[in-house]
Amino acid sequence: MYSVLMRWFGTTDRAIRRFLITAMALGFVCLLAAGIAATWAMTRTVAHTESVKHTYEVELAIARASNATEQAEASRRGYMLTANPLALANYQKAAKALPGLIDSVARLTRDNPVQQVDIAELRRLNMDLQQRRAATNALVSGGRRQMAIDTFAQESGAQRIADMRTLAARMAGEERRLMAVRDADLDASLRAFYVILAIAGILLVLVGVATLLTLLRYTQDLDRSRAAIQDFAESLEELVAERTADLTRANDEIQRFAYIVSHDLRAPLVNVMGFTAELDTATGALAELIDRAEERAPDIVTEEARLAAREDLPEAIGFIRTSTEKMDRLINAILKLSREGRRVLAPERIDMAVVIDGIIATLRHVIDERGATIVIEGDVPAIVSDRLAIEQILSNLIENAVKYLQPGRPGRIVVRGQRSGPRVSLEVEDNGRGIAPSDHARVFDLFRRAGNQDQPGEGIGLAHVRALAYRLGGTIDVRSELGVGTTFRLSLPATLTEVQEQR
Amino acid sequence: MNDHRSVTIVMIEDDEGHARLIEKNIRRAGILNDIRHFTDGTTALDYLYNHQDGPALNGPALILLDLNLPDMSGTDILARIKAEGGPLKRTPVVVLTTTDDKVEIQRCYDLGCNVYITKPVNYESFAQAIRQLGLFLSVIQVPAIEGDA
Repeated sequence: MYSVLMRWFGTTDRAIRRFLITAMALGFVCLLAAGIAATWAMTRTVAHTESVKHTYEVELAIARASNATEQAEASRRGYMLTANPLALANYQKAAKALPGLIDSVARLTRDNPVQQVDIAELRRLNMDLQQRRAATNALVSGGRRQMAIDTFAQESGAQRIADMRTLAARMAGEERRLMAVRDADLDASLRAFYVILAIAGILLVLVGVATLLTLLRYTQDLDRSRAAIQDFAESLEELVAERTADLTRANDEIQRFAYIVSHDLRAPLVNVMGFTAELDTATGALAELIDRAEERAPDIVTEEARLAAREDLPEAIGFIRTSTEKMDRLINAILKLSREGRRVLAPERIDMAVVIDGIIATLRHVIDERGATIVIEGDVPAIVSDRLAIEQILSNLIENAVKYLQPGRPGRIVVRGQRSGPRVSLEVEDNGRGIAPSDHARVFDLFRRAGNQDQPGEGIGLAHVRALAYRLGGTIDVRSELGVGTTFRLSLPATLTEVQEQR
Repeated sequence: MNDHRSVTIVMIEDDEGHARLIEKNIRRAGILNDIRHFTDGTTALDYLYNHQDGPALNGPALILLDLNLPDMSGTDILARIKAEGGPLKRTPVVVLTTTDDKVEIQRCYDLGCNVYITKPVNYESFAQAIRQLGLFLSVIQVPAIEGDA
């Protein structure tokens, strides 16, 4: 049955919940049924007790009535034999009480037509007897006792008394029968009660067992899934540790790579630059020679030679120079980043307001020159982190904000900070020229810049900022609308705990 | 000038271009001392310690040392030259390299390097540095002779 139920309800959590609720409802219904049955049985028992009492009352009343009849008859006979007025008084007392007694029987058995018929008969017999008794008593009182005795002998009074006795017995029997019927009734209802109780009990037990089994199974399932989750969590931790190790290794690799590459790229660059300078010097000498030749023997100077010495060579050398210089800057940027990545972080408590004030003071001349204002909004919470890294991040962000203003609009830069749980978020908001949505991710890439390239720079700052933010266990993102303004949001752990071991 | 000539300049530099530029600028600075150029550490060390004209056996020298060499690290050579009790301990060593890493520079000074010059990409600075080397060369003259005497 259990498995059938299980199949019916299914085994998912929801199904189990549904099953449990159904089982509980069923249990309550059983209890309710048992309660109703008990109440019903109790009512029945009370009613039965009432009827038993009633039966005894009826029997008592019948007995009283019979008794009174017998008493009346006995005192009448006594009077007849003795003419004693005391016997007459006894008779009259009994005779007087008799109708009332019969009435009380009639009252008690009002609802029973069989008894009513018998009572009517009783009344009739009683009346008859009454009349005859009254007659004989009158004769005795009149002194004609013998006549009374003769009349009594004729009237077959004994037969009547016997009839009355039979009648009373029948009435008592009727009551007994009724009581037997009621007893049977009670027995039946008690049996029904027990049956209901038994069914409810069995159902309760079944529901209980099913619920228990379900709960056990559910608990087992829970245990199993908890164990599975535990296993999963553990393996996840291992996985994360593994991945982190991989990442660290990859990162180290990149750092080393960047370092070596930038170094080795520099060596040939020194040559290019050096020999370009040599070329430049040689070009100077050549140009001078051309000048002198033009002066003294113009015929030997060809147009080509003149152009080469005065225009082509200086131009070529100029391009080589600017390109080499740019390449040097780029290589230096990579070097700087890789060096930054190898620096050991030293967490300390940093009063952000002081740091920001310091940065603003450093940039003061640029800020004034560009007519911008910087506001620190509210209290910037202090954090525990690497001071140099924080300073570099914020000074890069603020410098950018000052640098990329919207022409024709006075710059307004807001710096604010807020602590939320274990992290602190720092925001640098400006009303500058903004960054197009397509460039939001790009601006963080090395050597990538957005918008008009009208400001000096190599596209290193934000890459550096992001690398630093990552190293401090933080993130950085940008919200910006072109022509409206930009907000850089830095989220950092309030306390930098894990200082990564650097080689 | 005669005194100058007695100091041999030993240049250990694997990049021919750099070597040429260094030499040119030394000459331009008016220094006429002999310049012996080696492109790897092994032959340079062999010359320094074993050659009969080498500084270990004969005469004062100035060593120009590049840190990136194909066969060994320049710092190893520096450590060996400046080792306690070695014959070349007092020989001035000028480290000339592209590295401007502070840690690296510090390490070289710790090992006993006398001057550290970063090869800047900016040629003017480079030429300037080399010319200053000429001045330096005239200053070291006296102790070199004393060591020799």
